[in-house]
Amino acid sequence: MTSTTSTAEPILEVTGLVKHYPLTRGILFKKQIGAVKAVDGVDFTLARGETLGIVGESGCGKSTVAKLLCNLERPTAGSIRFKGEDITKLSGKALKAVRRNIQMVFQDPYTSLNPRMTVGDIIGEPYDIHPEAAPKGDRRRRVQELLDVVGLDPEYVNRYPHQFSGGQRQRIGIARGLALRPEVIVADEPVSALDVSVQAQVINLMDRLQSEFDLSYVFIAHDLSIVRHISDRVGVMYLGRIVEIGRDAEIYDHPTHPYTQALLSAVPVPDPEAREQRERIILSGDVPSPTNIPSGCRFRTRCWKAQERCVREVPALAVPAVFRDTSGPAAHASACHFAEEKQVVPAEDS
Amino acid sequence: MPDQQYEPERAIAGTGMGGAMDLGASEAATLERTPGGPEGTGPAGKPRSLWSDAWRDLRRNPVFLVSAVVILFLVFISVWPSAIASGSPLKCDLAKAQDGPGPGAPFGYDGQGCNVYTRTVYGARTSVTVGVLATLGVGVLGSVLGALAGYFGGVWDSILSRITDIFFAIPVVLGGLVLLSVVTSNTVWPVIGFMVLLGWPQIGRISRGSVITAKQNDYVQAARALGASDSRILLRHIAPNAVAPVIVVATIALGTYIALEATLSYLGVGLKPPSVSWGIDISAASPYIRNAPHALLWPSGALALTVLAFIMLGDAVRDALDPKLR
Amino acid sequence: MRGADGALLEVRDLKVEFRTRDGVAHAVNGVSYEVDAGETLAVLGESGSGKSVTAQAVMGILDTPPGKVTGGRILFQGRDLLTLKEEERRRIRGAGMAMIFQDALSALNPVISVGDQLGEMFVVHRGMSKKDARGKAVELMERVRIPAAAQRVRDYPHQFSGGMRQRIMIAMALALEPALIIADEPTTALDVTVQAQVMDLLAELQREYHMGLILITHDLGVVADVADRIAVMYAGKIVESAPVRDIYKAPAHPYTRGLLDSIPRLDQKGHQLYAIKGLPPNLMHIPPGCSFHPRCPMARDVCRTDEPPLYEVSGTRGSACHFWRECLDDLDDLDG
Repeated sequence: MTSTTSTAEPILEVTGLVKHYPLTRGILFKKQIGAVKAVDGVDFTLARGETLGIVGESGCGKSTVAKLLCNLERPTAGSIRFKGEDITKLSGKALKAVRRNIQMVFQDPYTSLNPRMTVGDIIGEPYDIHPEAAPKGDRRRRVQELLDVVGLDPEYVNRYPHQFSGGQRQRIGIARGLALRPEVIVADEPVSALDVSVQAQVINLMDRLQSEFDLSYVFIAHDLSIVRHISDRVGVMYLGRIVEIGRDAEIYDHPTHPYTQALLSAVPVPDPEAREQRERIILSGDVPSPTNIPSGCRFRTRCWKAQERCVREVPALAVPAVFRDTSGPAAHASACHFAEEKQVVPAEDS
Repeated sequence: MPDQQYEPERAIAGTGMGGAMDLGASEAATLERTPGGPEGTGPAGKPRSLWSDAWRDLRRNPVFLVSAVVILFLVFISVWPSAIASGSPLKCDLAKAQDGPGPGAPFGYDGQGCNVYTRTVYGARTSVTVGVLATLGVGVLGSVLGALAGYFGGVWDSILSRITDIFFAIPVVLGGLVLLSVVTSNTVWPVIGFMVLLGWPQIGRISRGSVITAKQNDYVQAARALGASDSRILLRHIAPNAVAPVIVVATIALGTYIALEATLSYLGVGLKPPSVSWGIDISAASPYIRNAPHALLWPSGALALTVLAFIMLGDAVRDALDPKLR
Repeated sequence: MRGADGALLEVRDLKVEFRTRDGVAHAVNGVSYEVDAGETLAVLGESGSGKSVTAQAVMGILDTPPGKVTGGRILFQGRDLLTLKEEERRRIRGAGMAMIFQDALSALNPVISVGDQLGEMFVVHRGMSKKDARGKAVELMERVRIPAAAQRVRDYPHQFSGGMRQRIMIAMALALEPALIIADEPTTALDVTVQAQVMDLLAELQREYHMGLILITHDLGVVADVADRIAVMYAGKIVESAPVRDIYKAPAHPYTRGLLDSIPRLDQKGHQLYAIKGLPPNLMHIPPGCSFHPRCPMARDVCRTDEPPLYEVSGTRGSACHFWRECLDDLDDLDG
């Protein structure tokens, strides 16, 4: 894993990103009666060569963030700057050009490859769409090279996706994502559909490709252990917003937001010795509906620390006042009025 | 750190772009066992595509070959009926009415004393033309409109859905009686036009549904993320994955159209004598089914064979377009 | 191995095949395990390992055909289930043993209110009136801590969140106070925070009712949290069986070891993950000898030809590896 500090020039800069899906009623005269606030104000930066992990539970908006980054959805508000240029307003040729630089790896290896195209056609399609990326005579060689890079036999170009296992299909999906030599890869749950023993293969592959191709990753997942393994920095999302963000050790070993603490404490650790010592924070209730987000702090309805202030005042994602003058690992951005450090993951034994 | 023995085996194949290959070769080796057709195991020779693979597959499929031979034969006699039948289908001799097979009339004679063999051969032209052209028209119009509605959605989809609702409410036979009774031309065209007009919503609805299903797959998102145009997504990604149900319904509909032509003729609004068609003959022979079953049997048999041939062809094409079945 | 006398459930040398168009898939190839009352046995394995098929055979809900039990015995409270009539087996399902499925949304009928679905158990098995059954349903929903149970008893499955639906599934399984519960990936579809709630509830209820619990999962974390013993399955066989602490401390089978090393840890970061090479075998062509040998870093000639039995490693654990001693010894090298 290459380690880059967040002070390096950002390759991706996301500010105030919002995506609301309107809820309408009526067949002919549609009336808006509300909105699903899938993403509700997300800010982060991604440095070159860095991996930013985004974790959160289902419905927190992390997959919508992935779609917005890849321009598969238009944001309701906010900007996404790729090397300084806002890509949310682009269309036509300019949009097509920027797509070359941001590619996506999908979650489900079974629906992300067209079952009626050969592997060669699937990986070669980027060159059909962007003919300037590779001269025609050279494409086949490049496709085979890509197969080789992701660890598949280059002879497989004429096979169809159903002849491969889940892990192999995910490699094909990664090869397609690499074809145009993008600088950023957005991976939305790339291993959650795979078996445990195959997950490690794909994670190692992504690790290796990052250094080989100088890639920057946005790695979206619900599995906190995998995110820690692959990420340099981690953002925790809850109900459409990032509630805490920082370097991996800051988030995992020194979390200051109660939601992060609860999330981490709930992850089962594969160590039976630890099961009596661990303190679990069991959250009450369910995540509120994204159509009806609580006022003030959006986590307050499930938070054991919630007070009057949390109902009135929206906490900003910034280094909390108590830690502002310290330089320790707890001094990272956390959107909580009452942030305090709490160790929930058992300390490393080494 | 894990010891050396416990490290994953280093692959031998990692020459392409340098860099250690972690598990490529071993995982690739296992693929040899995954079931696949004999075509799948060959070396990477010529690049192949869905269509060339489908054609290779079809050429070896006996179902396809048999149905193709039958259809080619039908086309042949439609174009050139005198090649296998001498005499005119309109030359009838009441004295021979309802007679059995005789010299020059292997299928016997119908109620009007016409040669059933000659009439069946000459009837192929009308019936096959009506069936094939009506199906083509319905298939093309229905699948294109349905696909556009399903893909782009929104207002156009709502409008199209309402239109198909209205068309579904029109009873076919009654619609035929009303619309075709004002037509004076005794050709197949008004009949085909009527069938396309009333038939496309059925295919349109199926096409719309399967396009919407195909559209939700991640590979469509992946193509979009690569910058693919709408026409590319529709033609390369959605159409091949949405076409199967359309083919099935269209080939079954083909038989219905030939039969519908017969019904309309029977009701006196379709083709009228002296036109020759299986439909006309079937309806003319039905009253005499007890005395002269052969007059009904032969044109009905020809109709059934034609419908079967097209259904088999449709099945074979659908299967050939599905790589999982190879 | 430990004595099996008086075990609540005893599976002996169970074999299950699936006859398909492409051939015979050997899904379960001689599985033996036992569960006592109050004990939690985790059956761990990847997709295709046969862990769910074994459970389906025990429950008697195997899809037959194409599935077929071709050998072995399933002793439940001393009776061999495979020799019973379907009628008798049906009486055991629900009252004697119950199952919790992964996907609560599809396991519940969407057009019947949850109260009626819960109550149906009492109407069918206990002959209660509909009104009494409804009362029982509310009681059960309270027991699995569904808030406002009395009001929500008339709601339909889709009106509940994923975690709440899984609670309803648990309530349904508990309704007739069975002696054994089989939970097939009960929390896989749930978010971590909800997963913790549901697992805690399940463990608590198990203690309260002193039930046997078979937990089928692929998640090594969940297993470490709740299980007493583990059976690791690979290609339709148990490759290692041990008390939970032993297996995490020192696995005695290279597959178990590979699995443990291939998962990233929440509390650790750093070195490359170990990845078991290759893929799980095709169940129609299981490799001869030890079925794990093509993927095993320790494989030798004998592994290609001789199928290892479940060797006794200690009084309470077994390993189906010819070289289990080496596997245990190697660990010292790893740590050192």
